[in-house]
Amino acid sequence: MAAPDPDRLTDLGKRLDHFQTKQAAGQRRKAPSQSQIGFRFATELFAGVVGGGGIGWGLDWLCGHFGFHTKPVLMILFFVLGTATGIRNVMRAAKDINAEIAAGQSGGNGKESGS
Amino acid sequence: MNLNPMEQFAVKPIFGMDKPLLSIAGHPIYFTNQALLMGIVAVASALFLTFAVKPNRLVPTRGQSMAEMSYEFVANMIHSATGEDGLKFFPFVFTLFIFVLCSNFFGMVPGSFTVTSQIAVTFALASLVILTVIVTGFAKHGIGFLKLFVPHAPWYLLILLIPIELISFLTRPISLSVRLFANMLAGHTMLAVFGGFVVALGTAGALAPLAIAPMLLIVAIMLLELLVAFLQAYVFAILTCIYLNEALHLHDHH
Repeated sequence: MAAPDPDRLTDLGKRLDHFQTKQAAGQRRKAPSQSQIGFRFATELFAGVVGGGGIGWGLDWLCGHFGFHTKPVLMILFFVLGTATGIRNVMRAAKDINAEIAAGQSGGNGKESGS
Repeated sequence: MNLNPMEQFAVKPIFGMDKPLLSIAGHPIYFTNQALLMGIVAVASALFLTFAVKPNRLVPTRGQSMAEMSYEFVANMIHSATGEDGLKFFPFVFTLFIFVLCSNFFGMVPGSFTVTSQIAVTFALASLVILTVIVTGFAKHGIGFLKLFVPHAPWYLLILLIPIELISFLTRPISLSVRLFANMLAGHTMLAVFGGFVVALGTAGALAPLAIAPMLLIVAIMLLELLVAFLQAYVFAILTCIYLNEALHLHDHH
C-alpha cells in the first residue's frame, strides 16, 4: 500500500472545512417572519399587562387577609408597572430581533439568495 | 354538520367514560379526550425513540437517523444557548421539546385533539420551566441569584426598575404559555373557519364550484401549520434554554 498522496489529503481537508463552515452557516437562526414578530410582541405586552395586574390583585387579596384595606390601590399600581414591563419587554424583543437580522445579513449572503 | 370553529377545543369525557374515573376532594376526575391524547403523545414518542435507536447501526435506518437528528438538534441548541454546563439539563429540555412537538403534530391529524391548544397544559409546562430556573438559580448562586433583578442603573432608577424586572421575571410563564397556546388556537381555528366556508359554499347550489378556492387555501394553511407546529416547539425549547442560561450565568450584558 502506497503512502497517501498529500495533494489528495489537503483536498480532503479543504472539502471538510468547506462542509463544516457550510453546516455552521446553516445552523444560524434565520430572521423570524413578520407574523412571528407580531405574535411575539403581542404576547410580551399581554403578559406584562395581565401579569402585572394579576400580581397586584393577588397582593391586594393577601393584604385584605391580614387586615389592610388596600383593595384597589396595589392592583392599579401593579397594573401600571406591568404595562411598563410589557413595553420594556417589547423593546427588548425588538432589540433581539434587530440583532438577529443583522447577524443573518452579515453572515448569510451565501447560496440561499433564492428564497 | 357542526360549523362552530371553537368546538374542536372542547375538553369532554371520551365515549364510554361518562362516569368519573375517581374523585379527589369532591372534584370528579374524568378521562377526557385531552387525557387520552396526552397519553398517546407520551407513549408514542417514548416508544418511537426507544425502538428507533434499538438497531444501533453504523448506517442508521430512517427511524434511527430521525431520533439521532432530534438528539443532535436539541443538544446543539442547548450548547449554543447555555454553553457546556447547560447540557446537564438535556433530558429536561429534550423531553419538553419532544412532548410539545409531538402534541402539535398529533393535533394536525384531522379529527384529533390538540393538547397544546389548552392554556392549562401550556401554562403547566411553562410553570415547570420557571420553577426549574428558580431552583437552579438559587442552588447555583444562593442568595446572589437575586442580582438578576438588579440592572446596572443609577439608584433612583432602581426604585422603578427592580419591580419591573421582578414582574418581567414573574410574567415569563404567561408569555411562554400564551405564545404556544395562542399560535395553536389561532391556526386550528383558521383551519376550521375555512373548512366551514367549503361546506357553506359547497351546499350553495350554483356557487358550489367556488368551494374549491377555500379548499386550496386549507391545503396552504395546513402546510403553514405544520411549520408553525415545529417552530413553536423550537421556540418553547430555545426560550427554556435562554432562561436556564440566565439562571446559570446571571446575565451581565445589560
